Amino acid sequence: MSLARTIKNIRQAGFKEWFRSMTYIGDAKFGRHVGTDQFGNRYFENLNPNEEIPGRHRWIDFSQDDFNASQVPPEWHSWLSHIRHLPPSEDPIVKQWTPTWKAPFVENMTGTRGAYKPYSTTAPKVRAWEPVVKPRVGSGSGASPSA
Amino acid sequence: MVRPLSLLRPLTTPLTAPTLARRSIHLTPRLLLATPASTGPQTIKSGPTKTPNPKETTTATAQSEEQWPDYSKGPSALDKASQVLFFTEIVRGMWIVLEQFFRPPYTIMYPFEKGPLSARFRGEHALRRYPNGEERCIACKLCEAICPAQAITIESEAREDGSRRTTRYDIDMTKCIYCGFCQEACPVDAIVETQNAEYSTETREELLYNKEKLLSNGDKAEAEIAANLQSEHFYR
Repeated sequence: MSLARTIKNIRQAGFKEWFRSMTYIGDAKFGRHVGTDQFGNRYFENLNPNEEIPGRHRWIDFSQDDFNASQVPPEWHSWLSHIRHLPPSEDPIVKQWTPTWKAPFVENMTGTRGAYKPYSTTAPKVRAWEPVVKPRVGSGSGASPSA
Repeated sequence: MVRPLSLLRPLTTPLTAPTLARRSIHLTPRLLLATPASTGPQTIKSGPTKTPNPKETTTATAQSEEQWPDYSKGPSALDKASQVLFFTEIVRGMWIVLEQFFRPPYTIMYPFEKGPLSARFRGEHALRRYPNGEERCIACKLCEAICPAQAITIESEAREDGSRRTTRYDIDMTKCIYCGFCQEACPVDAIVETQNAEYSTETREELLYNKEKLLSNGDKAEAEIAANLQSEHFYR
């Protein structure tokens, strides 16, 4: 990217934001702060083609230091992947279809103790034979117990 | 004899200078050899078909006089030889590389920026619920029947209220080929493929999804799924 754009974005964003974006994205980006999700991830947009290459015009600033792509909740994922035009805070259709029973979002927990572990949701079809031994009654004249 | 070339491939049109210039130095003899000579019969005669006598047909369409390309017009032999010998095509290709070197890269910095996805993108599966929270799947097993990879396993039972529901809905995500037939076969839009592609796991077992996992996927992403289905409802 050009030096003029870098200097301009540093002046607009400030030194702290510039240092953060250089640490994570590796580029001096500056844009409109579109919204923040429930985890503190911030979402930005810059539609000026002279400042951002089209295709790189929407980006996320992860709140966690150990970031990965699965930390984006689904509503913001559809905005970040350019599926939805409007962010979920403004999109009427996403707001309309958000159910009351929506489960809290968790990121991909693989490799941790919270990872999904498959299990059967049905009762087993085959059961091992469990012999029921009837109690012995009477018959004192059988084999001697010492044999 | 000085005419072996015209025996192989008679020159129907005189070679022009641009035609020659387009040929590279190592392609020309093979191209001539690869083109079959028109030695077959030129007309259909009545009566039994006879194999043409090569003595008669080899030179039938060959032109009597030699025709050589006219090199007097066009680039000189020195120009063409210099282009061949100094690899000017390579230099021109390297110049394009050099231009791109000084232009801003088009690399998308994943995961901070993501490439565009379609609303029809087929990713991780999910089982949906009705807006009142009732699960949609009615255990019709159409998805199990149509699955080309046979990745879906369904067992069903009557629930306490008498409605037919699945007791097992397993998808082997290692078998799945993400063709989307299951969501097309589903009459109640229960099984869908969400836009989530970031569900990679460390172990193979974690990809054997059961019904609870699929339902929880749907519970998390219901707003995104429903908005995508709403945007595609003209075409469904």
